[in-house]
Amino acid sequence: MDSWKSFERNPITHSAAHHVVAIADLLDAFGYARVSDVARMLDITRGSVSVTLKNLKQRGLVVEDERRFLGLSDRGKEIALALRAKKRVILKLLVEVLGVDEDQADEDTCKIEHLISNDTAGRVIRFLRFLSSDEPRAASFLEAFRDFTAECGHDPKSCPCCEDVCLSDQVSSIDEQL
Amino acid sequence: MATKENIQNLNELFAEEIEAAIRYLHLSVTVKGLDRLLVHKVLLEYMQKTLDHARSVADKIVHLGGIPSLDLKLNLPPQKTTATDAVRTALTFEQAGLDAYRDLLENIVDDVPLEEFVRAQVGLESQHVAELSLLLEE
Repeated sequence: MDSWKSFERNPITHSAAHHVVAIADLLDAFGYARVSDVARMLDITRGSVSVTLKNLKQRGLVVEDERRFLGLSDRGKEIALALRAKKRVILKLLVEVLGVDEDQADEDTCKIEHLISNDTAGRVIRFLRFLSSDEPRAASFLEAFRDFTAECGHDPKSCPCCEDVCLSDQVSSIDEQL
Repeated sequence: MATKENIQNLNELFAEEIEAAIRYLHLSVTVKGLDRLLVHKVLLEYMQKTLDHARSVADKIVHLGGIPSLDLKLNLPPQKTTATDAVRTALTFEQAGLDAYRDLLENIVDDVPLEEFVRAQVGLESQHVAELSLLLEE
């Protein structure tokens, strides 16, 4: 029941994760990254970027040279690579397997990428490897899933997925923005 | 540089200033203990000065025929802070604001009044940065 508290124990906040990945993306694309570039990429103020980077620099994840160009420490690079990998994995699952619209999948992935554990990400990768393997049951599994069009009957008693309540009803009962 | 681009750049500076003012307010109320006696009033004074800067920038946008706009994405967690760390944080976003004014100054072409305005803002922001740096000296 205390798992929600683990969000606060996450080694890197949602905002900080975006900053680290933005620096990595800028370095890959242009070979340099400045506060103004990160601000433009994330569509936030330079002040906001600087305050977040102050913390990341203190933690040794981001470095800044005397000309104020930004870089990532070895640990920062590791985090950026892990976040990018998790993003790719979740995006692949949502778009290619579940058929979620790409924009929606991108938005949802952004919320998940830095929060899921390495173990869960590893299991998703294993699942994706299975689906794209030569195993004949993998192809038929995916095909069967895509062909599955049965509508939800909203009757938990006869539903093999739900137990006491209709999960589908409950999921859609809250404001999307919550 | 076209007026449209100038207005866009000034709107970004407007956001920098408004956000900085909110940050000053937040810092002023998150400093606890005896440290509060040291910096609470100073931070609120800086908040007011920063709001004055924001108003000047907004006025400039209007003079150029634009409409000031704001799109802030600000998350300030409930975290106690010390006087020193509050001033360090303030110095961090003041420096970022100063850099933004300096960058704009380098890119203005054929608009002497705007250039003069931004130059004056660079002077004011430099003064803030220098004053905050002094507070952090041993």
